[in-house]
Amino acid sequence: MANLFEYDSDREKQSAARAKALEALLITKGIITDKTVDQVLDFFETRMGPFNGAKIVARAWMDPDFKQKLVEDTPAAIEELGLGDFMAGAEGEHMRAVANEPGVHNIIICTLCSCYPWPVLGLPPYWYKDPAFRSRAAREPRAVLKEFGVDVPEEVHVKLWDSSAQIRWFVIPERPEGTEGMSEEELAALVTPESMMGVALAKAA
Amino acid sequence: MLTRFEHHAVTEMLGQPDTPPRYNGTLCFGHEWERTAFGIALALAKQGVFEWDDFRDELIAEIGNWEASHNLTDASWDYYERFLSALEKAATKSGAIDSEELASLNNLKPASA
Repeated sequence: MANLFEYDSDREKQSAARAKALEALLITKGIITDKTVDQVLDFFETRMGPFNGAKIVARAWMDPDFKQKLVEDTPAAIEELGLGDFMAGAEGEHMRAVANEPGVHNIIICTLCSCYPWPVLGLPPYWYKDPAFRSRAAREPRAVLKEFGVDVPEEVHVKLWDSSAQIRWFVIPERPEGTEGMSEEELAALVTPESMMGVALAKAA
Repeated sequence: MLTRFEHHAVTEMLGQPDTPPRYNGTLCFGHEWERTAFGIALALAKQGVFEWDDFRDELIAEIGNWEASHNLTDASWDYYERFLSALEKAATKSGAIDSEELASLNNLKPASA
């Protein structure tokens, strides 16, 4: 155990060699190609994930008309952005956006299941499926928000949106101050999955 | 929302014993080989080389064996080491590779293994 760190880097090297060798063998046997790993992970890395939600929110920050449409008819507004046809509802589920504004803070939960608007938020964090989070967020959202570092003043109304099999909610956070001159792309970089769940605020970097 | 195999496969794992590490809404890989292993496993299941559930059974068993033989605070825990071992087993059992080929793979490992 004296050489703990050397041991660890050795293990890393071994694992890397084993994974590479396995991939090479499967390529040689014609089972996969050298593009397969990238293709299959492209889904999570470039097609479906919080980068979609970030683009949607950034557009809403830039364009008040888009924001209005996003709240009134979320699927139609998202379609305008041309993020991909995989956003369409094949299972009868719909995404709905709710906007934070002065005096109103929104938070999304799911008390019955773990419905999650994954095309815009990606994979949910560990705690989202935790029954303790789900029931406490419904019962005492202000206390839960405080634990997340979001101090909601008494006069601000906290609205809870409980997702179901039919409707999956996400939050349009408020545009942070000090971002007036930013481009849409720069704004998108400020939008985190947690801010779109309502458990964090978007912050100027 | 169209459910793609990739999404369905990963969401099935969430909240289960084999739940993968993730960060900010995406899968979280600490090293390139972890990404390679995950991609191979998904691809083989997607192509029907093995069933995703069968792979997951191997993974859950690997995790269970590690937990049974280690203290749960043991810092040497590594999700993707278990993942890679499960992938080798599932690929061998499916017949995609045979145990001889796997053995020659393992010869690539340093002798200290």
